[in-house]
Amino acid sequence: MTFQSVLTQARSEHRTLLNEVEAKQVLGEAGVSVTVTTLATSADEAAKQAEAAGYPVVLKVVSPDIAHKSDAGGVKLNLNNTAEVKAAYAEIVASCTKAVPNANIVGVAVQHMAPQGTEVIIGMTTDAQFGPVMMFGLGGIMVEVLKDVSFRLVPLTDRDANQMINEIKGRPILDGVRGQPASDIAALKSTIVKVAKFVEDHPEVRELDLNPVFAYPDGAIAVDARIIVAEA
Amino acid sequence: MSVPGHRLDRMFNPKTVVVIGDKGPGYQWLNNNKGVVEKGGNLYSVQVDPNQIEGIEKMGVKNFTSLADVPGEIDYALVAVPRQVAPLVLKDLIAKNAHGAAFFTSGFAETREELGIRLQDQMVTMARAANFNLVGPNCMGLYLPKAGVRFNGDAALVDDGKVGFLSQSGTHGIMFSLVSKANGVFLSRCASFGNAVVLDVSDLLEYLALDDETEVIGMYVEGVRDGRKFFQTLRMACERKPVIVWKGGQTEAGARATMSHTASLAAPQAIWDAMMRQCGAITTNNLDETIDVMKLIINSRRPVGPRMALLAQTGGQSVSITDAFAKAGLVVPRFSDQSYADLGEFFNVIGGSYQNPLDMAGTVAGKMDTLDRILRIVDADPNIDNVAVELSAMFAARSWRRDPKALDATLDTLQNYQQRSQKPLIVILHPAHEGEYIASIAEKFIERHIPVFPSFERAAGAMARYLAYATN
Repeated sequence: MTFQSVLTQARSEHRTLLNEVEAKQVLGEAGVSVTVTTLATSADEAAKQAEAAGYPVVLKVVSPDIAHKSDAGGVKLNLNNTAEVKAAYAEIVASCTKAVPNANIVGVAVQHMAPQGTEVIIGMTTDAQFGPVMMFGLGGIMVEVLKDVSFRLVPLTDRDANQMINEIKGRPILDGVRGQPASDIAALKSTIVKVAKFVEDHPEVRELDLNPVFAYPDGAIAVDARIIVAEA
Repeated sequence: MSVPGHRLDRMFNPKTVVVIGDKGPGYQWLNNNKGVVEKGGNLYSVQVDPNQIEGIEKMGVKNFTSLADVPGEIDYALVAVPRQVAPLVLKDLIAKNAHGAAFFTSGFAETREELGIRLQDQMVTMARAANFNLVGPNCMGLYLPKAGVRFNGDAALVDDGKVGFLSQSGTHGIMFSLVSKANGVFLSRCASFGNAVVLDVSDLLEYLALDDETEVIGMYVEGVRDGRKFFQTLRMACERKPVIVWKGGQTEAGARATMSHTASLAAPQAIWDAMMRQCGAITTNNLDETIDVMKLIINSRRPVGPRMALLAQTGGQSVSITDAFAKAGLVVPRFSDQSYADLGEFFNVIGGSYQNPLDMAGTVAGKMDTLDRILRIVDADPNIDNVAVELSAMFAARSWRRDPKALDATLDTLQNYQQRSQKPLIVILHPAHEGEYIASIAEKFIERHIPVFPSFERAAGAMARYLAYATN
């Protein structure tokens, strides 16, 4: 599916939020490294897709009505076989239906569970004065509590992406502290630049979160993604 | 002409200036612009009120009751008529093919009332249709020292100012025009642009960026209407010369409906800061920081590194100066072994120290050849990029009052250093609380192009900003 067809689909459903499967698909097409994620609409389908993705897998609810998936019991991690996947599928549907009674549950997103890396957030928003703006920061509490993030206006140069990474206060964490491995700075930089290019190419995109992106000593991969597009 | 062919070139280099609607008894606008005649240009008045005309003619200014009668081409008009008349004056200016005008007249959209908004809209429509260069309204207009155009009669009328300044606020424009003079920082071109409904800050900035007489640009800006245009223009300007942006006012975040994490973190001020860094602008928070970094840029060599030699007079001050420079992110390294050996030859370690920071008053003891010797040693030191010298406003200044030649000798020594060395010099006259005397000697520093600051913190802040720019 191209960006245009995803956009058309979303708009036909009067949605501005692209779900995780859609967001990853269009970002993947733009060359951004994302965990391959598929949509299952039954437990059997989920089991089949889990085999293809490779264990362990993660299941996440896909619903335009559920913004905070974990809070609604819509996320199951570290599933290792068919039985676990089928059970998780049923549990997700049950607990999400209970948490948000009238939610339209489109299905469940299935993906290989990427090994834990250093968590970062790469995002984009549309500023009222300056238009599209990229953001970078460390994930987890660094972004939640300390708001340790940096911004640059799109379009972005390599130098801008470099400065975004170097500007955050938690920058030494990316070099590896207390026995943690160093993060692949070049891969992070390239992800930022590719996302910026994607945003530049698609002015319909208003907001975007890759949260988290796992950074490894070699490479980086977005394990969750959401995109908000402008109303038609 | 400094940017030949640019649409603002005539307005920024006027030969014929017209003041429209000035009033007695002060006739402030005609008085502000008397310099136009001194500089060889033409200054005319347009005023229809017979009660005002006599006073205008007494000033020796030729008055016309119709703009159409003004001879020749009008390069710049300053309009100070009541708001209801402003659109009519604009119509006349357009008909006359004037090259530009600033409207001091206020009472437009800034009042948020219907009549003001309507009058402003009318003017915008007319000016845009005619591609007319309208500055303001609700502004002080232009200050062009070389052309004799001013918005304050006390501002300098130099021909070789190097700093361009733009201000969204009239007050900050006036204050800057006076504060810069007091600091020996002279302006090339300055504009207070008020509501900026036709020419906006980006249009004016573009001119200053291209203007070869303007070497440094400063601006006070609260917000811009077209953010992308400003971003692009600022980036272009920063590629050409240092641009200092004093951003006033933190925009209210307001109730922004956001669905993403990124949007919730993107406060307007954070985006502004990022945008300015992305362009390579020097950012400041107030008037003092703005004039400080300009003064350093204009008077000092370009810094290449953060390592300071701190030449303090006494022990206590050597600690204070170190705190200030270190907190600003600058580095106070050890001198080279060679420097220690050289300093050790003559330094009085009893009651003094030749570690960096130096505690040197006891050794120098008013002998300028000794100060010169110290300056030569730190100049040759490979561990040092910049030199800061404290002149004691409490101790040394007392002897300068008795013997002004001692001050001259000190300044000559510093000036000689500055002329021969590639390493930036920054001077601190601290504590500068005995203001009258400090002000009385300011001219001596300005004459010699020695950048002097009233506190260690302000000196360190200016150095840190210039360095960040120079090494960006």
